[in-house]
Amino acid sequence: MRLVFIDSLCEKRSRFYPLVFGRPIWELRCGMSSLENKLMARIRPDDVAYFVPDYMADYYKTRTDKPVNDVTTLTGEDLILVDPRIKADHLDLPNKHQSQIDLDDEGRVLYARISKEDSGGLEAEDIETFLDSAKSSLPCVSCKAPTWEYTWDLVLANAEQITADFEKAGRSGIEGDIEEPVAIRGSKKDVYIAPKAKLHPMVVIDAENGPIYIEEGVEIHPFSRIEGPCYIGRNSVLLGAKCREGNSIGPICRIGGEVEESIIHGYSNKYHDGFLGHSYVGEWVNLGALTTNSDLKNDYSNVSVMLDGRKSIDTGSTKVGSLIGDHTKTSIGTLLNTGSYLGAMAIVMAMGKPLPKHIPSFAWFIEGNVTKGFGKRTLYGTAQKAMSRRGCEWSAQAEAMWDAVFEMTSPIRKKAIKKGRRRLLT
Amino acid sequence: MATVEERVKAITANKLGIDEIKLEDSFTADLGAESVDSIELVAMFEEEFGIEMDEDAALAVQTVGDAITFITKVCKEQGVEIEE
Repeated sequence: MRLVFIDSLCEKRSRFYPLVFGRPIWELRCGMSSLENKLMARIRPDDVAYFVPDYMADYYKTRTDKPVNDVTTLTGEDLILVDPRIKADHLDLPNKHQSQIDLDDEGRVLYARISKEDSGGLEAEDIETFLDSAKSSLPCVSCKAPTWEYTWDLVLANAEQITADFEKAGRSGIEGDIEEPVAIRGSKKDVYIAPKAKLHPMVVIDAENGPIYIEEGVEIHPFSRIEGPCYIGRNSVLLGAKCREGNSIGPICRIGGEVEESIIHGYSNKYHDGFLGHSYVGEWVNLGALTTNSDLKNDYSNVSVMLDGRKSIDTGSTKVGSLIGDHTKTSIGTLLNTGSYLGAMAIVMAMGKPLPKHIPSFAWFIEGNVTKGFGKRTLYGTAQKAMSRRGCEWSAQAEAMWDAVFEMTSPIRKKAIKKGRRRLLT
Repeated sequence: MATVEERVKAITANKLGIDEIKLEDSFTADLGAESVDSIELVAMFEEEFGIEMDEDAALAVQTVGDAITFITKVCKEQGVEIEE
C-alpha cells in the first residue's frame, strides 16, 4: 500500500504561513517528530509519494529520494491519500478493501483509501484532477478526524505531544556523558539521554512534570535547566539556557536564554539571553541577543495574529508568541509583540519598542519601517553564507523556490513598503 | 515645480542633517550616510518622485550627482513628469 501525502495551495495552507513557504505542511513538527513521521507511524505504508505545490516541487525533489508530483504513483497500488493536517493519533483507518473518500467541511479530501482496481479508472492528469475524479466516482463521507488548523495549534499541543511521543519511543536511561554534578529531578524513567550527548557540570534536568528526551550529540553547557516535557534534537547546543516546559528544539540549534513551549526547527540560533515563548521558529533563523517576545497580553484576553497583514485572527488562546519564517534574522534587543508574525527571509532591526505584529517576508524592517533594503539577492547571499557554515548548500532549486515565494508575498510587502515610505517623508 | 536636483538635495539634507550639499559629494564618504541611511534615502526618493527603483542599481549610486542622473532616468522610463 502506498501512502500519498498531498499539500495543495489553498486558503487552509496559508494558515501555516510563514512556516510552509519553504516546506510542505507534513514537515511541520509537534512533539518529538514531524507530522509526516506521525502519519507514517500510524499508517505504516509500504511506499510513499508526495504532492507539493508546483513552485516547491523541484526543490523538494532535492530533499527526498521518493517520487514528488509524479502522477504515475497514483496507479498500480492500493493508495492511502492524506492531507497532512489530519491528526494522526485520531485517524480512524477505514476498511481495507473498500475505497472511501473522507472530505472536510469544504469538500476537500482529507483522507482517502483507493484500491488499485478503482484508481486505474480515475483521471490522473494531475493531483487535483485525480482528487476530483475520485470524489465524483467513489463513495464519499464526512471526515470525523480532527485537523491542525493553524500553526499555533501545534505549539499549544507540543507539551502533551512530547509526552505521548516519549512514551511511544519507549526509551529511557542515560547513555550519554554526564559530568557531575548534574541534578536529575523526578523519575529517571522519564529521562533519555542518547549516546554522545554531553551534559556539563551544573546542569539541572527536571523531569518532575514531564519527560525529557535528549538526542545524540547534544551538548548542554553549565547552568542550563531543562524542564520536561522537552525534546532536544541531534547536535543542538544549549548555553546556560532556561529551558521551560514544552519545547521541541533542533536538530543543530544553538539555544540560550529563556525558552518556553516553543518549536524550533533545525539550524536556528537563539544564542543569547532573551525570552521566547509559545512560538514556532523556522530553519536558519537567528534571533539576536535580547530578542524577546510577549506570549501573554496584560489583560489576559485571547491573542490575535495577522497572517496576511490585514485581518486579525483570534487564536482562541491567551498564550501565543511569535511565528517566525525560515532565514529570518532579528537584531539585538528586538521586542516582539504578542502574536507576532515575522515572514520568511526578513531582516528585522529593533526599534526600541515592540514591533508591528506583521512583518512581511523578504522585508527589511529598519527604524520602524518596512523597506526593500538591500533586496533579495543580499538575503540569498546571507542564507548561502549561513548554510555553508553548517556544511549545507544553497541550491539553484532553493533559489527558484524562494523567488516564487518572493512573488507570492509581493502584494503584502509592497503595501507595507509604501506605508513605510510615506512615513519617512512625513 | 522644483527641479530633480533641488528635490534630491532637499531630501538628502533633511535625512542626513547637512546644510550644504554638492553634486560631487559621496553619500557615504562625504555625507556620512550609513547603510541604513542609504536604504531610507532610496525609500524617500521613491516616495518623493512616485517611482520604483531597482534596489541593487539604486544602492550602487555613489554621489548626489549620480543620484540625480539615475532618478531622472527612472522617472523618464516610468513616465513620471519632472522638472530637469
